Amino acid sequence: MAEVINLITIAEGARISTINGATAEVVNNPKDGVWVFAKYLTSPEDPDLVGSEDMIFAQDIAEVLT
Amino acid sequence: MTTAGTRNVAQVLLKHEIEEFLYHEAELLDERRFAEWLELLTDDIRYWMPMRRNVKFGELEREFTREGQDINWFDEGKATLERRVSQILTGVHWAEEPLSRICHMVSNVQLLEASPSAEEAAEVALKCRFYIYRNRVETETDHLIGKREDTLRKENGGWKIAQRKIILDQNVLLAKNLTFFF
Amino acid sequence: MSNSHANGSHRANGHSIADMVDLASGTVSREIFVNEDIYAQEQEQLFARAWLFVGHESQIPKPGDFFVSCMGEESVILCRDRESQIHVFLNSCTHRGMKVCRYDEGNTPVFSCPYHGWSFATDGKLAGVPYFKDAYKGELDKSQWGLIEVPQLRNYKGTVWATWDKDAPSFEEYLGGYRTYLDFLLDTWDGAGGETEVFGGIEKWVIPCNWKFPSENFVGDRYHNISHRSVDLVGAGPSGSGRRDTQERVGATALDFSFPERGHGTISFLRPNDGPIPSYQHSKIVSDYFAHCENERRKNYGKWSRFIPGPGTVFPNFSYLPRQPRTIAVWHPRSPESHEAWRWFLVDKNAPAEVKEFLRKYYISYSGPAGLTEQDDMENWNYAHNASRGAIARRYPYNYQMGMGHDAPSFDADGLELPGLVRNVTVAKAAEQNQRGFYSRWADFLRASNWDELASWRNGHSNGAKFHNGAAARAGSAL
Ligand code: FES
Ligand SMILES: [Fe+2]
Repeated sequence: MAEVINLITIAEGARISTINGATAEVVNNPKDGVWVFAKYLTSPEDPDLVGSEDMIFAQDIAEVLT
Repeated sequence: MTTAGTRNVAQVLLKHEIEEFLYHEAELLDERRFAEWLELLTDDIRYWMPMRRNVKFGELEREFTREGQDINWFDEGKATLERRVSQILTGVHWAEEPLSRICHMVSNVQLLEASPSAEEAAEVALKCRFYIYRNRVETETDHLIGKREDTLRKENGGWKIAQRKIILDQNVLLAKNLTFFF
Repeated sequence: MSNSHANGSHRANGHSIADMVDLASGTVSREIFVNEDIYAQEQEQLFARAWLFVGHESQIPKPGDFFVSCMGEESVILCRDRESQIHVFLNSCTHRGMKVCRYDEGNTPVFSCPYHGWSFATDGKLAGVPYFKDAYKGELDKSQWGLIEVPQLRNYKGTVWATWDKDAPSFEEYLGGYRTYLDFLLDTWDGAGGETEVFGGIEKWVIPCNWKFPSENFVGDRYHNISHRSVDLVGAGPSGSGRRDTQERVGATALDFSFPERGHGTISFLRPNDGPIPSYQHSKIVSDYFAHCENERRKNYGKWSRFIPGPGTVFPNFSYLPRQPRTIAVWHPRSPESHEAWRWFLVDKNAPAEVKEFLRKYYISYSGPAGLTEQDDMENWNYAHNASRGAIARRYPYNYQMGMGHDAPSFDADGLELPGLVRNVTVAKAAEQNQRGFYSRWADFLRASNWDELASWRNGHSNGAKFHNGAAARAGSAL
């Protein structure tokens, strides 16, 4: 089982992966532990997302890559 | 005895002395010997009770209102404390007439610093817990619980209170007033 | 309200409002202070419709800044969005009600709900919904489920006001002529139109009495000086004696102003037209500053500089002291038996540091739970309420007859246009015109079914007219 990530500890600029296999860069962390604002870098499932900014929910984050 | 042992004994004795002082102070307040209590305060005493905010994790530096800058429950010196005592002693300070029944409990005393040394302490910094029970008129009752940070200074052979920071463990104050001393 | 129009007469819990607030006899029933059902009606009829003070602009200077406040019983978020727009939202998640912000103040890009994770932007929009695609199939109409926002908001000279009633008149219309008096609280001391700000630290405490006790006290109770005997004896005023500087009141005409058709009221002093009066004599820097402000005031206000504003209440629960100390209080209802008092302290933004420091200390030692003055008020309100709860006590109304049926002596306003029902109480020392006006308006709110009825001034016949001597009552009303 993947480790539970505490969103509060993710630095802005960090790269994350999602459970859908996308990667994104954190652009703003409200540090509420629930959401981060991130920009998609890769998104095999939905390529349209790449380059767009979105909120990513804690339970949709698989890993902090950097 | 070793030097370290002597130091330990001095610390124990000092702690005992300080505790006795704090109990004596509580006794004066509970017995409403306000004039005598005022004599335990240095002329330059700082008496500060911040308000406490609910703030986000990682922003705890904003939890307390700031001494000397913000609105605080108390942020004053001896003149105002003397005025508070005088007001109670007018007999027409309705908020304390009839006088409340108050019990000060002091515990968890920790000496943080004694300078220049425990043996010859002239100034002591300490932390403790307080529990103030107030009952007035018939059934009106307040429980005020929190921490105190005191600095005591020796003047003319006796201890006096030079600083008191009062940390009440409440956000919205649950008592209707603060007519008593912490 | 369900039972207010049941049989064509206006009733609350079986009591007729006209009987409870009986302005012909000058009495007000104790029921309106202690009765649970009437309290519940107040929440619907009054707090959900009136303009209420939420906070001060200086508390949220930057985008993302927020301050959690109250409107009546309810928690609201005052915040500034990314475009610097000010909003007031109900502090309750639209999904299942969780309080979305449990911090008192701070800065944030979003309010994220800790229950299921819905997240709202600072403009209230629902921005984040967990499993939006998987669980809601992308069908949830996010535009319909943003934070619940007040339909009307007004930033008036730095004070932010809001109402839950879209049909309420504008804030300025709600104030009416009272605006003239409120401005003395909100404008800078020198009358030059600069900015004011509030000190950090909002006092919040619980007072065990109905919220109307402090509201009616501030609306103009000159009679309760004896409450403050002890502080007058020991002296806490800014020149060392009394509780305020009272020299400026010597030789002044004491005037009460009531707006029964709106509920607001205030008291004041109109000084003789002579030189500045020394005040704030504690330190030279402070007294020099106030002397400077007084001189500027004379230039900027002209004839109005003779006007010394006093305590007031903007109906229903915003009370203030405009001068010494300068502070805003809101009495948030919590139950018939208790309310939460919140207190803000105002200062001119450009006042010298020494002056701000002096005022800060004076404010703390005057007002609030540790205030030498206010402590005694609260004791009186507490036990007045306490002794009014019994079945027997409730049968006997409170007396508001002071000055009723007597015209007050006329006075020379020296060309000043003084809005409201003006009552000269220089000789009488006190009157209860303002309290009668306050409860008259309270009764209007409990009776009326909408703002068409409440905005009675629009059709020319004010509800106040039925118990004062009509429009001629400028200088000496019988209310
Ligand atoms: S209650 Fe807020 S997300 Fe469910
Ligand atoms: Fe008062």
